[in-house]
Amino acid sequence: MMITVYAIGIIGMALMPGLDADGNPHSMSLFHAFYFFTYTATTTGFGEIPYNFTDEQRLWTIICLYMGVIAWLYAIGSIIKLVQNPYLVHAIAEWRFTRSVQRIWSPFYIVCGFGDTGSLLTRGISDHGMMAVIIDSDEERIKALALRDYRVTMPGLCADASVPVHLVNAGIKHPKCLGVIALMADEDLNQKIAVMARFLNPEIKVICRTTSPRHQKHFIAIPGVTIINTFELFASQLRRAVIAPKLHTLSEWFIGARGFSLDKPMQKMRHGHWILCGYGRMGSCIQREFATVNIDTVVVDPIVEHLGEVRQSITAYADAQSLAEADLENAAGLVVGTGSDADNLGILLHAHQFRSNALLIVRQNQHENELAFNAASVDLIMQASLVTARNILRYLIAPSMQHVIDHLESVDPKITVGLLDKLKLSFADVKPHLLSVTIGDDTPAVIAASENGLTIRIADIIRDPNKHDRELVCVPLAITRNSKTTVLPSASEAILKDDVLLFCATMRDVRRVQTTLRSPQRLSYLITGYEEPSGYFFKWLHRMFPHLMQTEKV
Amino acid sequence: MNLERVVFGFFIVLALALNVVFVIGDIENPEYHSVWVLTAAIFVSLIATGLKLGDRTQVGAILLGTSLVSDMLLIIARVIWIVQVEDGGAPNAGDMVAIVSWAGGALVANLISATVLASDALMSRH
Repeated sequence: MMITVYAIGIIGMALMPGLDADGNPHSMSLFHAFYFFTYTATTTGFGEIPYNFTDEQRLWTIICLYMGVIAWLYAIGSIIKLVQNPYLVHAIAEWRFTRSVQRIWSPFYIVCGFGDTGSLLTRGISDHGMMAVIIDSDEERIKALALRDYRVTMPGLCADASVPVHLVNAGIKHPKCLGVIALMADEDLNQKIAVMARFLNPEIKVICRTTSPRHQKHFIAIPGVTIINTFELFASQLRRAVIAPKLHTLSEWFIGARGFSLDKPMQKMRHGHWILCGYGRMGSCIQREFATVNIDTVVVDPIVEHLGEVRQSITAYADAQSLAEADLENAAGLVVGTGSDADNLGILLHAHQFRSNALLIVRQNQHENELAFNAASVDLIMQASLVTARNILRYLIAPSMQHVIDHLESVDPKITVGLLDKLKLSFADVKPHLLSVTIGDDTPAVIAASENGLTIRIADIIRDPNKHDRELVCVPLAITRNSKTTVLPSASEAILKDDVLLFCATMRDVRRVQTTLRSPQRLSYLITGYEEPSGYFFKWLHRMFPHLMQTEKV
Repeated sequence: MNLERVVFGFFIVLALALNVVFVIGDIENPEYHSVWVLTAAIFVSLIATGLKLGDRTQVGAILLGTSLVSDMLLIIARVIWIVQVEDGGAPNAGDMVAIVSWAGGALVANLISATVLASDALMSRH
């Protein structure tokens, strides 16, 4: 249509009789006509060229103007409509997303589902200097993603993550992709994502959140998929918080949880029974966990089904009356763990009316209700999404950390206290960072040193390069060799190839240790206390006259 | 105390000092610039380069690079002297300016070497 309008306008303009400056007849050339029509149709209007127009020409100009401008407006309208077409917008967004994923050069994870847990996990991944690619089917969440202040921009795609092509676009086959984390609200989707991911790239880690035993059973059959059961995780954390509060503080502190400082006074474990408000999937998990450590529980819930091993239960809403019936005054603690935040806060109000020394532990379901929960004076707020996100993060950055916690729980609590005191002394208020190192290609210095016949011990790695007799703030937590983990290894433990070491260090010393592991010169200095000659000439001199070079330890 | 550090530090600083000795003074006047000093500076700088050969550390690599630059510039200055000046005679003002300018470039490279060396020593006692 544009072309027709242009053709008519240009030919007409060229045919209209005109006069030149001297009054001789003159017709516009086709090029001039095209030039004139272009600026007329786009409403630019540079004036009459090459000479002043005759009336015939002006008449035709009027026709051109209306015709051309209308055609242009129509064309612009169509273009805008096309640009606003949701399918086109989506196609462009997906294309952009795919390109930005292809350009990633650092290791990254794919996070499917950007709800509470997903966003908390992404925040954690960002804090640890890693990248994540996010897929969520909710457009609003992806839009919100762009506004977050992550250290690096995290590409986000609004799509169904269980469709394989979207996983491929998100970089599941990218050489730097480390794993897929399925955190969708829908269990079946998570399962689908996990299965797809296994097929698309068997090399990567697959982590999948689930809440139902049916799915969990199914997943155990799939090799290479790590399952995180939110409720069981929550319940075991809760049990640890109750029976080993120091260990709980320690494990929260390792992951850098806010508000967990090492010298926070501990609540003493009281004798007595625990009251559980809410006996759904979560409540029953908590009850089972408590039963394993022989804690008596009283369940308060309006609907108590599948009681199983529950000995005492009160079938009622948890109000003042039923809490009195459950003997809150003499209870060791109260776990408010229903699936509704409003109910939980309401139960807390009832509980505050009692004059009781019971520990109050409350479950927070929605991240957005944080302020209200912080205002309620309770001993511990546990947020399922936060617990899940932290555990996944810990698994990602330090897989052997779970062994450390489990080990500390199984041995004498004095060891935990000892570790706590040691950490308190060396870290003070500094935030800890977990450093997991695999001895191999990433640590050329260790390989080089062992090729030179040196024995590398943990003590050598964590030695201060500036002061040979001092240690960095870097505590070795575990060493994994042949898939066997030794917790709190001694500093004299020798390091071999393919060992996985786990340290807890300050950010500054994490960098120092990483430098040591990469620089052969520095490591051999730390091991022997002597500086190796670096140039050819001095190497030769050292071979010829060994006594000349280094006479004393630095 | 490490012999390598002592020897290398000695040669780097000596190269810098000789370079300053040669460059300093009226740029056009040959009386200020001795060909002996220039030749000595070249030798010292070459020795410093030789000592850094085979060093695979970061700092070693930078020092090798800067001392190679100073070698190159000093040798160019010496070559101009050889080509433009008759035996026993003094260079004319234009040639003198060219020679001293090249040596001035080498001075910058030597300054960087000395700075890197000093800061490395200060940063880590190791």
